[in-house]
Amino acid sequence: MTKISVTGSKEHLEDVIEELHNLQLMDINQYEGELDTGEPVSEAEDLSELLVDVRSLLSKMPELEVENEEVRIGEVQKDIRQVKEEIEGLNQQEEELEREIEQTREKKQFFKKLKETKLEINNLKPSETLDVFIGKLDASKFEANVGVDDYQLFHSKSADVVVYSKRKADRIETALEEAARDRFKLPKTNFSGTCQEVYKKLDKKLSRLEDRCSEIETKEASIAEEWRGKLVYLETYLTEKIEKAEAPIKFATTQRTFTAKGWIPTDSFEKIEERLAEVSKGKIHIEKAQQDEKEQIPVKHENNRAVKPFESLTDLVSVPRYNELDPSFILLLTFPLFFGFMIGDAGYGITTGIVFLAGMKKFPQAAKIFKALMWTSASTVIFGLLYGEMFGTQIYQSPFYRGDLWTPFFYLSIAIGIAHINLGLLIGAYNEYKQHGLMEAIFAKLSWILLQVAAVAGYFTFTNYGTVPGALVGIGIATPTLIMLLKGEGVEGIVEIPSLISNILSYARLFGVSVAAYSLAGTVNAIADPAMSSGSLLGIALGTTVLLFGHTLLTFLKIMEGFLQGIRLHYVEMFGWFYEGGGKKYAPFGAKQS
Amino acid sequence: MAIGSFPAIGAALAIAVSAIATAYAQAKIGSAGVGALAEDDSLFGSVLILTAIPETIVIFGLVVSLVVAGFI
Repeated sequence: MTKISVTGSKEHLEDVIEELHNLQLMDINQYEGELDTGEPVSEAEDLSELLVDVRSLLSKMPELEVENEEVRIGEVQKDIRQVKEEIEGLNQQEEELEREIEQTREKKQFFKKLKETKLEINNLKPSETLDVFIGKLDASKFEANVGVDDYQLFHSKSADVVVYSKRKADRIETALEEAARDRFKLPKTNFSGTCQEVYKKLDKKLSRLEDRCSEIETKEASIAEEWRGKLVYLETYLTEKIEKAEAPIKFATTQRTFTAKGWIPTDSFEKIEERLAEVSKGKIHIEKAQQDEKEQIPVKHENNRAVKPFESLTDLVSVPRYNELDPSFILLLTFPLFFGFMIGDAGYGITTGIVFLAGMKKFPQAAKIFKALMWTSASTVIFGLLYGEMFGTQIYQSPFYRGDLWTPFFYLSIAIGIAHINLGLLIGAYNEYKQHGLMEAIFAKLSWILLQVAAVAGYFTFTNYGTVPGALVGIGIATPTLIMLLKGEGVEGIVEIPSLISNILSYARLFGVSVAAYSLAGTVNAIADPAMSSGSLLGIALGTTVLLFGHTLLTFLKIMEGFLQGIRLHYVEMFGWFYEGGGKKYAPFGAKQS
Repeated sequence: MAIGSFPAIGAALAIAVSAIATAYAQAKIGSAGVGALAEDDSLFGSVLILTAIPETIVIFGLVVSLVVAGFI
């Protein structure tokens, strides 16, 4: 990356911005200093207002799949108010109708319960002398308790009505209180007649309201069909336009000139110089600028096509710093290997591949991650063939069949852990060497490797020559190593020693998940086996269903396990030994930010 | 391989208790992490790492139970 400063006369400001936007190369810095910053181009405010309108209108329209349609701003600006009013009016009507429909439905529900009582709606309203209970009643309990007969009880399947004299209200209400299971409130309605009739009228009203509502929806859809494509186009167009109009806010300006500073990829300096000179007819000054103290240089990943998809997995933790090794290639190297090692089944390799392919199609914004995951599927197939496994069944007599080799697999997992962490330490040493020199690399990172050498050498001397020589060799190598470590990483380094052991042991999960993956697939097969071997057609159908369901479920389970366990071994166990991150991502002006 | 009842119970306890401990820790970290993600979803990577940290406990449990069971 190179920092440049672009200085020119204000009359070329717009052309320069336009060209920088097209080039998509310069990550423009915000100017902070004594000079004034630029003002947004005069039309920015109008455009922003229009964009707000466009967005609010889009949110009010029904979502339709419409092709984007090119349109001029003026054309939309003229009509947008009217369309907005129209659609807001329709939205409001729709809301009111929906509310009314909801209320009518509730009323209909109420009268449906009372349909069989044949009561007139007027009889349900309290009068001067009579009161009414509507609800659900334990009728026998009520009749046994009430003790007076100044009431009449009407039954229906899901509701009871008690009409009673107000003179005996005390006793009857107490009895009702004890026997009532539920109470319903008589809703307000303008209809008259028996409950049955009111129910029918409400039903008719409901379908009328629903018709009107769908009419409004059709109107909204036709507006959306006409406008949505244009508005979506305009939204993108305006966003870009406003971005350009507001760019001068980051520039330093005087009355007649402007200066913009920012970062570009070093090899594109000449291209920018040439193009800007062309649009300003040579009246522009571009020079390499000084990096401010403490200023972070933006970082752009530079990897080949194979590693590219893994960049997003690196950025998920943190963007690398400028002078730090980009660990994406490590992810390409070992993440699929771990995934395949754990899941290791040719059948699941294929099914997970199908899932990732579908994911790539369905979620284009996450396509990069799915592309990275395709590697894990390939590795799962390869390991599956190596182990001789397909959907939990042994397909041939492989010398590496996991089911017979669990103990070696455990030790292999730990060995992979030691290799992986030491690889991390070596990368850490390289980073230290680049940033702080050779001595720091040896003290801070290589001392960790020496510490392991001390432990191993001590152990082997102990087993071959006895305790005292073993201790002597171990301590002999460890003491200077510890002093180096103390010098390189300080007290923290000494405190961190147990975490070296715990990180290595953590790779036992490779073995653990491997056991789980192997046994889970076997379990599904074992469940389906009795049905499959029964010989009857029904049995085979049942067995096939179990197999399909089980292995589909396991495919997703294994994706989750393989991904999470595989990636965390990198993020937590390995990256911790060398990766700092915290870089600033290179975001050139004009490029779409993902 | 055949092992006695007490080592078997010990091995089971080693993995069971450490699994519960991991679950408890992950539940706490996970719910706090989701809360943080609701505020700022660029934290996904860090939340993933924080949630993964207690898993080491259950791996230790696994190792101990394998040792007790005489597997290694």
